[in-house]
Amino acid sequence: MKLLVFAVAALASAQESYLIRNATLHPVTGPEIAGGSLLIENGKISALGAKVQAPKGVKVINAKGLHAWPGMINCATQIGLSEVSSVRETNDTNEIGEFIPQVRAIVAVNPETEHILVTRANGITAALTLPAAIAIGGAPGQSIVRGQAAMLRLDGWTWEDLALSPSAGMLVRFPTIQTVTFGFPAGRTEIPYAEAKRRYEVEMRKIDEFFERSRRYQQAKKAATESFLPDMQFEAMLPLLEGKLPLLIAAQRERGIRDAVDFAEKHKVKLVLFDVRKPGTQLARLAQKKIPVIVGQPTDLPLDEDDAYDAAYSLPGELHKAGVKFAFATYDNQFARNLPFEAGYAVAYGLPMDAAWRALTIDAAEIFGVGAITGSLEPGKSADLFLTDGDPLEVRTQVKMMFIQGRNVSLENRQTRLYQKYLARP
Amino acid sequence: MRLFLLLFLAMAAWAEVPSGLAIRNAKVVTVSSGTLPKATVLIRDGLIEAVGPDLNVPADSWVIEGEGLTVYPGLVDALSTLGQDGPRQNAPSAATQPAPPARGPEDRPRTFSWERIADKLRATDPRVESARSQGFTSAATFPLAGIFAGQGAIMNLGDARPSRLIVLSPAGQYVSFVIGGGGGRGFPSSLMGVFAYIRQIYLDLDHYKQAKAAYDRDPKGRTRPEYDRALEGLAESPRLLFPAVSLGEIDRVTRFAKELNVPAVLFGLHEGYRAPEILKASGLPVLVSTKWPTRAPDADPEQVESARALETRAKAASTPGILAKNGIKFAFYSDGQSASDMLRGVKKAMQMGLPEADALRALTLAPAEIFGVADRMGSIEKGKIANLVVTRGDLLSDRPRIEYIIVDGIKYLPPPPPATPAAKESTR
Repeated sequence: MKLLVFAVAALASAQESYLIRNATLHPVTGPEIAGGSLLIENGKISALGAKVQAPKGVKVINAKGLHAWPGMINCATQIGLSEVSSVRETNDTNEIGEFIPQVRAIVAVNPETEHILVTRANGITAALTLPAAIAIGGAPGQSIVRGQAAMLRLDGWTWEDLALSPSAGMLVRFPTIQTVTFGFPAGRTEIPYAEAKRRYEVEMRKIDEFFERSRRYQQAKKAATESFLPDMQFEAMLPLLEGKLPLLIAAQRERGIRDAVDFAEKHKVKLVLFDVRKPGTQLARLAQKKIPVIVGQPTDLPLDEDDAYDAAYSLPGELHKAGVKFAFATYDNQFARNLPFEAGYAVAYGLPMDAAWRALTIDAAEIFGVGAITGSLEPGKSADLFLTDGDPLEVRTQVKMMFIQGRNVSLENRQTRLYQKYLARP
Repeated sequence: MRLFLLLFLAMAAWAEVPSGLAIRNAKVVTVSSGTLPKATVLIRDGLIEAVGPDLNVPADSWVIEGEGLTVYPGLVDALSTLGQDGPRQNAPSAATQPAPPARGPEDRPRTFSWERIADKLRATDPRVESARSQGFTSAATFPLAGIFAGQGAIMNLGDARPSRLIVLSPAGQYVSFVIGGGGGRGFPSSLMGVFAYIRQIYLDLDHYKQAKAAYDRDPKGRTRPEYDRALEGLAESPRLLFPAVSLGEIDRVTRFAKELNVPAVLFGLHEGYRAPEILKASGLPVLVSTKWPTRAPDADPEQVESARALETRAKAASTPGILAKNGIKFAFYSDGQSASDMLRGVKKAMQMGLPEADALRALTLAPAEIFGVADRMGSIEKGKIANLVVTRGDLLSDRPRIEYIIVDGIKYLPPPPPATPAAKESTR
């Protein structure tokens, strides 16, 4: 009986209409609107502006002194796949096989994960979840084509509810020439350059061969001869080969970026680079080829001993200046909520505020093919937004309210529950 | 029987000819008391019988006319593995079966302090002859594996059986800060653990000495203290050799040696050019590796090198000159290089400001002083061991011409010079 009540309530709230009034609206794709109103109907933004006609029965929210922003997007997490990384049974981030493009992260996502609630609390309404950890190089034997990432909206009862985009990219562990590796328990081990290069070439041959075989499958399927047999593995590669899905490759340095871009050109696939830290001379090429980039964490340490202390802080500003489309990510679950503060560092070190907001919202959405659905405050877009009492990149700012698909979602989470619990301790 | 015969032959080689030898009217670089432009060196029974101008040559002595020749004390490699089986030995006791992982200092992890390299030297190491042919007549030879790797020795580079070649044993304890690597491979698995262990073992040694002394004074009614070979080994080590290559390591080890209150010698010292004040204040002697840092030939061509690594590479060879200027006692060691590469390294240091006299001292008398054997070797003095190099021209010039090498009074000839450059040209 209770369950039924909840279900009915959920259904009702999905259809509820809201009018947010007297708020400073930050559409991101357009100029700021002071004292504006925003109408949410059927889960979508139906109107916004200085004056919006309120239909009958709409729930009016007086947002005086508050700001409305499109929900932010964290572009690299494993939300829903890993709860506590050191508790084995809560992790579902490793699959067996070298080439497993058919693996879909979305079907393994646990909608009950605590990480969703905590991440939402800072204004993040969507997150890319990756089928395996972002790895540079990695050990031979680990999967190479690792499966499909999913863009999650951070509210829903089932993984189907969460699927903002069930397949947002194909994650590939791209080989790199790695002379120094860190492992357990061996610690730091170094191999000669020639040996590292040979290992790299062995892996490159494998991955080149796999892409060629996928093309052959595509060709055979098009020819539609009688002898054609469907294959799940190659079938999963088709969206990538048709340019509907980007290839996701982590590449921190110049050489890795150069190799990845060469590879994507060779095989004629779209590319998104992850964890970019030192693009060097490849910066102009990224801009010219319009290859989007998910920056490494601005709060990470610089890569090399002699790098400037602010190398990581200032990279987003440099990407913006060079005309590279980029977005932010935290590359983890437990600190996924810190996304706005990562962007805050970038703004303090040369990234214009409006560019930071584009990177946090619309650019991230466009990179992963959901730019038409979310990422800005525009009529017709999904009502994924939040209200704050100030600048969300500022640590002291409080998120007051959040809507995902027009639902007024709870901002309560494990941290707030513990806060309340211990606040009440006699 | 065959072994006996071999021993007999070895002894026969030693005592084959009458030992009297005289180098007459040569230039003699004594190192300890200046250069004599025209002097005679008399050698008998492996020792220097007399040095000076206008000496009478005994009737039974074989005379080498020294006109145009220069006599130097034999060179000393201050830290090597000469006379040992391989260039780098594995942990001696780990050879047969792996030891169980150590749980703490009480298991004496990677400690071989009681083992003496002098007991393991072999006459078959081909590197001995090649070092000798470059002018080296002695070397400090040490085991290198372990936190306490064992007792080193000073040996002469003759071809007699090893027991005849030992000048000093034990010469010191070789220490390295090797980390086990954790993962169940036992204590210590961090650098901090290694230091904690070394501190602990010295505390243990203090207690051990006191307990033994108390027992020896009055054994009746007392439980005898347990015998501990690791502590026995440390107790008989006359000095400790600590690795210290970078500025941080030099700073750390000078403090650590002071804290332990042990006689210490630092080795490595490639960043010694950054630390003359620290070294001077510590008063510790140092051994400088002539294996100057270079870019590895198989390095990643796109690898970003740190400014610190580049600076050390550019300036490491200026260390000996700076040490000499600051009056810090130092000697050179080969660090796994061949003798000719080592001398090339010394010459590089000379190009970067080390005066020739200081370079020569660091190859002769200084190592003898550091290891406490300057009373018997390291310079050309009456009564010292007859270890000499006789050259035509300067020993530390670009193309030294070594005529004779004398080790323990026995004359050796260098191998014939390699093919001339012209001949090389024609075979190219």
